[in-house]
Amino acid sequence: MIEGRALVVTFVRLKLALVRNGVRQSTGRSAAFVGTMAVVALFGVLGLLGLVALRGHGNAADVAVLLVALLALGWAFMPLFVGGADETLDPGRLAMLPLRPGALLVAQLAASLVGPGPLFTLLLVAGAVAAVAGGGAGIVVAVVAVALALLVCTTLARALATANARLLNSRRGRDLAILSGLVVAFGLQGINLGFSELAGDENGDFGVVATVADVVRWVPPATAIEAARAAGEGAWGTAALALAGTLAAWGLLLVWWGRALTRLMTAPDASTLRTPPDDGGRRARDLAWLPRGRTGTVMARTLRYAWRDPKSKMGWVTSLGMGLMLPVLFAAQGNASLYNACWVSGLLGILAYNQFGGDAGGFWLVALTISSPRDALIELRGRTLVIALIGVPYTCAVVVVSAAVFDDWGALPGALGLALTVLGALLGVGAVTSARLPYSVPQEGAMKNVAPGQTGQAWFGILGGTVAGGLLSAPVIALVVWLNASAEALTWTALPLGAAYGLLVAWLGLRVAAPMTAGRLPEMVGALSK
Amino acid sequence: MDTAGGGSAAAPATPPGAAAVRVRGLWKRFGEQIAVHGVDLDLPAGRFVGLVGPNGAGKTTTLSMITGLLRPDEGTVEVVGRDVWRDPADVKSRIGVLPEGLRLFERLSGRELLTFMGRLRGLPVAEVERRADELLDVLDLSAAQHKLVIDYSTGMRKKTGLATALLHNPEVLFLDEPFEGVDPVSAQTIRGVLERYTASGATVVFSSHVMELVESLCDWVAVMAAGRVRAHGPLAEVRGGAESLQEAFLRLVGAQGNPAGPRLEWLGGTA
Repeated sequence: MIEGRALVVTFVRLKLALVRNGVRQSTGRSAAFVGTMAVVALFGVLGLLGLVALRGHGNAADVAVLLVALLALGWAFMPLFVGGADETLDPGRLAMLPLRPGALLVAQLAASLVGPGPLFTLLLVAGAVAAVAGGGAGIVVAVVAVALALLVCTTLARALATANARLLNSRRGRDLAILSGLVVAFGLQGINLGFSELAGDENGDFGVVATVADVVRWVPPATAIEAARAAGEGAWGTAALALAGTLAAWGLLLVWWGRALTRLMTAPDASTLRTPPDDGGRRARDLAWLPRGRTGTVMARTLRYAWRDPKSKMGWVTSLGMGLMLPVLFAAQGNASLYNACWVSGLLGILAYNQFGGDAGGFWLVALTISSPRDALIELRGRTLVIALIGVPYTCAVVVVSAAVFDDWGALPGALGLALTVLGALLGVGAVTSARLPYSVPQEGAMKNVAPGQTGQAWFGILGGTVAGGLLSAPVIALVVWLNASAEALTWTALPLGAAYGLLVAWLGLRVAAPMTAGRLPEMVGALSK
Repeated sequence: MDTAGGGSAAAPATPPGAAAVRVRGLWKRFGEQIAVHGVDLDLPAGRFVGLVGPNGAGKTTTLSMITGLLRPDEGTVEVVGRDVWRDPADVKSRIGVLPEGLRLFERLSGRELLTFMGRLRGLPVAEVERRADELLDVLDLSAAQHKLVIDYSTGMRKKTGLATALLHNPEVLFLDEPFEGVDPVSAQTIRGVLERYTASGATVVFSSHVMELVESLCDWVAVMAAGRVRAHGPLAEVRGGAESLQEAFLRLVGAQGNPAGPRLEWLGGTA
């Protein structure tokens, strides 16, 4: 059996080999990897220099503390999105080796300090400490602080990942992780809103940041930065306290990680063994109101997928959520307009761009049942109907609620007419891009919505589709502008005209796409099986 | 602790006639489902043991508990006379495992994988290199030894897994469905290596639901169904009066000859 130092050395070598072989993969990957490393190093050094430049500035300590706290937050949540990236930490691959949990823990910790992530963290933490530290003995504390902060970050990530490994490795857990990407997306919007509020503050007041920093400086690993600062100022009591806090946090994390690791190595995931509740009958009845025949079958399947398939669900939640959020966001920024509701229909229309993407490798099942352009038409129409079924009422609701909130009922017909036109146009264009430029949506990976090598296809579909949709909507846009400018009594006509026009474009799109789909089935199966 | 199997090339000796694996009162529940239902089992040393049963019979769960990968709810497991759950690390150093799912370090080459696994088991570097050379050669992996594992086919993955399981010259080798998804050529290679391994006195325990394979390879079988052991003993004994192991197995697990019976009358290819 292997113990202690030899094990640590072997683990570090293993990690290095894995990182190095990441480069060796294929050319695309290697470029991506080298690029990532270069960007990581560049940003790390830039961050370091920026922080060093902050030295002496009144708010340097606040910035440093917040930055380290953000880094720790990143370490805590990144494994959710790039799960399985570090194979040296996967107990599933190590469980059959005669390794004692304690020795394994030390070796894994050492291995986790190798790689681009730790390098970036080291650079930034060093910068943060350099911005606040000072004095001869302060340097010693600063060095200890950097090491401790880095250790707390990596241990935190490992402990969380190990504790959640069962969740992350089970199907349900991976589904959850994919959906959690949304939390980040919406969170970023929240931060965006927060910053615009801050920016709106003319005095350039740093008050909010300073208040937050006052709390965060006592949360490990930011306490390490506080220790370095205090030591630099000769406040040895504070420095000792902060260092002890960091050390204690690290110790607790190690204990937690060790326990989770031991548990995980002797109790692999068994979530697929659970018997599902017997509600098959109820589910079948739930969708009984759909039309009979192929249309209803296609719609039922699409609706079930919208609920069960995490990627499909993510698309829906993003479109519905962002569609609701953008008008609110614009209103908060003082740009209240009913026409912002077009974002809703636009985002919902985007769902139609790659109708078959979610089928991915399973598309052959659909392809086998399409033997004529008519079959293709019904298949596409069923899928499009589902988007319309949810999209039309939702768009109407958003426009009506906006009109009520802004008390701008006069603009309602124009805005709603235009929104429905956009939806119809995008659905029509989407049918064509689905047939012409299908790409596979991989099941795994929260941030991976396009199969490798099909990114160009996806972007071309999305950009081309959006431009085409915009052009197709142009007549109604012109109509609404003209009505508002010179025929205000007739603005109500924008609603029926816009809705009818949208319907027409969607129908035309389906008619064009159906023979295309029927004729390109083998190519589509190929593209979707990537 | 000593490095198990680190020294002599000859297969380690378990006293003849003794049990390589001794299982008593083994239980495992997942929620409401009972995966393993009070299993008692003695697997003889120096034999080629087959653990057979339909999907969901509890074969993998049982093997995982025997090899220290899954903690039992109740019961004891002894492998080569040592309690697995008192000191899993000690037992793991004496056995080789090819687990279900077979998770490997995907971004290592086959060669590197063997080197690292050998080092993690505490074998001297030169010895690891020598053994890896031979294993790769015998398993017909030499040409692909510098390719990354992620690019391997199923058969190559199984052979690589087998090589890592054999590297430290274990006393007992546990294989979970070693032939599943493996092409005939690779299957023959794996067979040859396993026969060579048992011929020198070591024990192989493998699970499978391919009866022909078990019948041709094993001299001792245990039949599992619904979490229990339905029959165990020398192959001829378990087969009894039946024509083949397949026949005897179907009878043991209670499967009918023609499950469709009078149903499926519409099936006939004429619309």
